[in-house]
Amino acid sequence: MICVIAMIVFGILGIFSVKYRTIAKESFECVFKRITLRPCTTGLDERLKGQITGKLMKKSPKVAAFTYKHFEVFSWFFLILLIGSLIYSGISAYNLIVYENCHGPGSDEVCVFNPETYANEGNCECTSDTDCTCPEGTCTCLDGQCVS
Amino acid sequence: MNMDKTRKDFPVLNKIIYLDSACMSLKPIQVIEKINEYYKDYPGCGGRGVHSISKKVDEECLNARKQIQKLLNIKNEEQIVFTKNTTEALNLVYNSLKFKKVITTDKEHNSNLVPVLRLKKEKGIKHDIIFGNKDNTFNLEEFQDKIKDTQLVSMVHTSNLDGTTIPAKEIIKIAHENNSLVMLDGAQSAPHKEIDLKKMDVDLFACSGHKMLGPTGIGMLYGKEEVLEKLDPFILGGETVTNSTYESYTLEKIPNRFEAGLQHYAGIIGLGEACNYLRKVGMENITNQEIKVNKIIDDGLRNIDGINIIGPSDVRLRPGITSFTYKNKDVHQIALLLDHSKKIMMRSGQHCVHSWFNNHNLKGSVRASLYLYNNEDDAHKLVDGLKDVIKVIG
Repeated sequence: MICVIAMIVFGILGIFSVKYRTIAKESFECVFKRITLRPCTTGLDERLKGQITGKLMKKSPKVAAFTYKHFEVFSWFFLILLIGSLIYSGISAYNLIVYENCHGPGSDEVCVFNPETYANEGNCECTSDTDCTCPEGTCTCLDGQCVS
Repeated sequence: MNMDKTRKDFPVLNKIIYLDSACMSLKPIQVIEKINEYYKDYPGCGGRGVHSISKKVDEECLNARKQIQKLLNIKNEEQIVFTKNTTEALNLVYNSLKFKKVITTDKEHNSNLVPVLRLKKEKGIKHDIIFGNKDNTFNLEEFQDKIKDTQLVSMVHTSNLDGTTIPAKEIIKIAHENNSLVMLDGAQSAPHKEIDLKKMDVDLFACSGHKMLGPTGIGMLYGKEEVLEKLDPFILGGETVTNSTYESYTLEKIPNRFEAGLQHYAGIIGLGEACNYLRKVGMENITNQEIKVNKIIDDGLRNIDGINIIGPSDVRLRPGITSFTYKNKDVHQIALLLDHSKKIMMRSGQHCVHSWFNNHNLKGSVRASLYLYNNEDDAHKLVDGLKDVIKVIG
């Protein structure tokens, strides 16, 4: 399953950089073979497993051994996380385009995708846990940070 | 042998533990500087021009031939044909020599097996294989039984799979008694042991520069003069002929007739310097150093439960190589974990000897291959590193 994650991640990175395209292509081949019920023969999944576990070995051999043993489970877990976050990102992007707010119509919550969120950041100051002073527009206090 | 001094010539050893010299040797700074010297000071054509840079290239290439001649004890430097590597040298012979039956071992590198299989398929030549003894050493009795009516005995001198060397002297004697030519794939023997081609009486011998401290893309074929004369060059072009008309051409003398087109001059000059370096260190010292380090690896690995070492138990029979498997674990994973956790570089897989692994139902092995720059510390780090890896993979 690590190949699916690799295909998505390196596929996106490959848009911007040639060096990731080869890995993206390799991971696509691997995924294609897996969905057609054949084993992945590119060796990419094994390489990624070896690289990740090898790096972990330097920090903690026990964690490395646990990761190595349950690598497929971790891969599934991260794949579900990745797909979930991609779905939520997609919904937010849709909301931002249609309603100019990533939380949907009528929401006044802060939207991280909205550039206006950061417009006054740095220019305003929190005067209490909830109040801010702003040079222009309105802003609110969020975790001690002023956001518009 | 001064190990500290030797290791300083290979700066990359400060960063990694390199145990993959059977695939590619490291290059000492002397060789790198010699290659740079060609590109910086006299980057011209050899064998053609009359200007001073061209003459300097000729002089340096001749010097390189002489260095190789000294290292391998060759009667005449004109018996050396430069090729791209061992593979090309072997293919040159297979495409130039006429024969009906060839004998190989069961541990041939693809470079010495696949051309034979093609000739078998396309020209119907006969191919006999000598299967090794249980410990992977050469079966001389079987060879004696099969030698009859053989025109060419073509064998790997030292195996890249397990490091064992065939008894070349006896094989050549038997082959010559049966009027058969002998060609040795010396890719793994020439870099690691003393080779005396004159004394050995072998007819053809191929080796690669990149496995003996030289640059990539350069190798050589040695041949007895009368054997080289018999070969019909399969690549023709510039420098292979003395003259040509619209109807005919006259072939150059050996070795020029086999060296078509512009040559890899930087590679040739670099290889010459590599041979010079090896001679200064001494081939016997290299073999002894490899045995010393390999003994530590062998002892360490034999104490690990589940490790199976391929080849004879006596490391003196496989000085520079320890090839092993661990239970039924993926060999690539072992190599990857050693790399990413301990910076130990080792080869894993079938080492281009697929046929042997397929015959033994093995997916591959992990191979530690040593050279003059490996010390005892490298061996201990490998054994300790492998123990840590085994704790992870179970």
